[in-house]
Amino acid sequence: MRAAGNSGAQRILCSGGKSAQAQQHGSDAPDPDVLRVTGLKKYFGGVKALDGVEFSLRKGEIHALVGENGAGKSTLIRVLTGVHSFTEGTITLDGAPFAPHTPQQAKARGIQVVHQEFNLLSHLSVAENISIEALPRTRLGLYDRAEVRRRARTALDGIGLTDVDVDATISTLGIAHRQLVEIARALQTDSAILILDEPTATLTDREKLRLFDLVRALADRGVTVVFVTHHLDEVFRICDRVTVFRNGKTIATEDVAGSSPAAVVRHMVGRDLALTPAPRPPVAADAPVVLALDDFRVTGSRAATGVTFELRRGEILGIAGLVGAGRTELLRSIFAVDPVASGTLRRDGAVVTLASPAQAIAAGMGFVTEDRKDEGLILSMPIAANTSLASMAHVTRFGLLRDGDEAALATRQGAQLQLKFGKISDAVSSLSGGNQQKVVLAKWLATKPDILLLDEPTRGVDVGAKAEIYTILRDLADAGVAMLVVSSELPELMALCDRILVMAADAIQGCVLPQDYSEETILKLAYGQT
Amino acid sequence: MTTTTSNAGRSFRDLINRAGIGMALLGLVIFFSVTTEHFLTPNNITNILTQITINLILGVGMTFVILIGGIDLSVGSILAFAAVIAGKAITLPGLGPTEAILLAILAGVLAGLVCGLLNGFLSAYWSIPSFIITLGMLNIARGAALQVSDAQTIYAFPKAFEQFGSALIFGIPLVFLLALALVGIAWFILNRTVLGRMIYGIGNNEEAVRLAGHSVFRYKMIAFSLCGLTAGIAAIVYMARLNIASPIAGIGFELNAIAAVIIGGTSLNGGRGSVIGTLMGAFIIGVLANGLILLGLSDFMRQMITGVVLIVAVVLDQFRARYGRAA
Repeated sequence: MRAAGNSGAQRILCSGGKSAQAQQHGSDAPDPDVLRVTGLKKYFGGVKALDGVEFSLRKGEIHALVGENGAGKSTLIRVLTGVHSFTEGTITLDGAPFAPHTPQQAKARGIQVVHQEFNLLSHLSVAENISIEALPRTRLGLYDRAEVRRRARTALDGIGLTDVDVDATISTLGIAHRQLVEIARALQTDSAILILDEPTATLTDREKLRLFDLVRALADRGVTVVFVTHHLDEVFRICDRVTVFRNGKTIATEDVAGSSPAAVVRHMVGRDLALTPAPRPPVAADAPVVLALDDFRVTGSRAATGVTFELRRGEILGIAGLVGAGRTELLRSIFAVDPVASGTLRRDGAVVTLASPAQAIAAGMGFVTEDRKDEGLILSMPIAANTSLASMAHVTRFGLLRDGDEAALATRQGAQLQLKFGKISDAVSSLSGGNQQKVVLAKWLATKPDILLLDEPTRGVDVGAKAEIYTILRDLADAGVAMLVVSSELPELMALCDRILVMAADAIQGCVLPQDYSEETILKLAYGQT
Repeated sequence: MTTTTSNAGRSFRDLINRAGIGMALLGLVIFFSVTTEHFLTPNNITNILTQITINLILGVGMTFVILIGGIDLSVGSILAFAAVIAGKAITLPGLGPTEAILLAILAGVLAGLVCGLLNGFLSAYWSIPSFIITLGMLNIARGAALQVSDAQTIYAFPKAFEQFGSALIFGIPLVFLLALALVGIAWFILNRTVLGRMIYGIGNNEEAVRLAGHSVFRYKMIAFSLCGLTAGIAAIVYMARLNIASPIAGIGFELNAIAAVIIGGTSLNGGRGSVIGTLMGAFIIGVLANGLILLGLSDFMRQMITGVVLIVAVVLDQFRARYGRAA
């Protein structure tokens, strides 16, 4: 397979390499960098998505791009591929200034990206998908089916996919093959730089190996590959250099050979944590267990054994893990949004089976969801209506709304959370992200829960509001509310939680206690390095 | 839903939303008053009110369904089916006039309710787009109406029933007052009850409503049931007005009802709109139909212009939706 891949890649480069060759002829001392980004800044309104990025690519290297969620990796890719413009800085491509305004312009210059979510038309054939950007026509202007199939065959053979039928419908292919088809599509148009955005997120180990072989073969033929990943083992397996982003800035670019996973993790998380935890007294060992899971498996769980843990009154239990580790799924199953596959849930010691969110609420639970716009709030409706949504019984009588009661409830809850708003009848969409999140909290606190499930409680919230939310959550814990907090921000978990469970692949990999809190420890568990 | 708004974009949106429809209606009325002789006469006004009554009743139910993000294509057929059932009931031998009328009303309204309930159950339980389910029901109810009636028109109703259909109170048709009462009830439900809150909530963000512990299924069922119920009421009004129960009644009525709701500013995506808008929408369609004929335009021209108005209304809706996102 590898031999086929090599010869194919060579064929691609016969056409793709021309421009590079021509350029090398033109200068005596060829610049090793095909792409150079200096002082790049990208602001969205007041938000600094990129705040001084330095980045360069050498021809034919595999360059890893790593950083926590929100560090700016995706933004840089969007700038390079012409989706976003940039605010400040310079980009040079092959020695000439480069500022693509559309994805087409970026593609014309040989920059291709394969996204994490595929951009394939699932009901069309492989061949049609590969040629979809510019369908060839016959002399009569008709769709040239033979040419489409021929191009697809060439493109697929080029990356060693000789076993894929060009007439197969995309929906009949597995995830790994779909991704390879995307790569084939990206490469058929003379790519000089191929960006792979978390390419291994959905692949099995064997599929990963095939992908790595392919990426290496491409690089050997002169294609520059940018490899965005959360997985450090992949960085150290196939990449030549690694660039670490944090908070929109480039922290370091290092040769992989001269670096170590520990060093990269240190760059990723940094030392200057703004939100340092003020220590909380440990939860009393005799505090009653309010929620206990025993071999609890979500539907579709990849793990052989289920999740087991106990949550005590007034305890804040963190759940760390990478995206896709099964954290959100766990919370959704606890709250009976999604069905449970097996295992038991005990509430105050008694085994209960919850069939719906309504029953979970009746059992004293609340669920602050990850995505407040899609799941948490009714944006166009007033603050008051959103606050009362989970406790309608308190503001109604015989099915009739009592506006006064509702406004009073919302005002009371809002005051408790220091919600900043104009009028309680204003639409929630008029609030800032932090205040919207407070409305979500207010909605659940209005139900007077004993247990709060929080999924990314401070996502998209500015630093000030973040600190306020931390204070709110700690006060709640002091008042006896037990909390399960899922977060991708490790400083957040370490600042808030009494214990942190680390999840990977729907299973708990370990439990970290405050005295052992460090991002290295948690990340190693999350990445499966023991 | 009186959302007080602060920024300019939203108040502009509100302006189009609320005043826009009223202004358009007022403009039409002024236009036809000036250009035609008979538009603003008591007789003609009675005429218009009579003509829009059935569409308005159907539109009230349709508003509920469209607010939750659904659609009901079957109300015209349900009207025919309910009319045939009520016609069978009212012509049962051996009943006194009062009993016959009461039984007919009960049977007709119930028939409509059951059809609506089925629509709601099937689409909500299996999460099938209501477009498909109600398209099926459009055929089922029409077929059932023809089957039950042997494709025969039923007639010869008690006198009192006919009088109900043609009664005027100070020149206003009694049936229009009934429709207006339904608008009032619907307004109350939508604005003052938990049911109304949930209907708007589901139309805006079904998942948030579900996660807050409410049964989305139940409220969807109720919305479709109410739509069927109004189709049953419309069937009774139809019978009382025309003194017949025809299995081919109401063909295409669903489209007029949808048009009234959409012209009234309710979003086809759900979650935004009001039954007062539907009242305006029904008036705009009725005034246009009446005025254009008074102007001497053919019925075909009237149909074309109504179509144009509908498209303009939907384009405005898209514009509003985009404005809403940006704001």
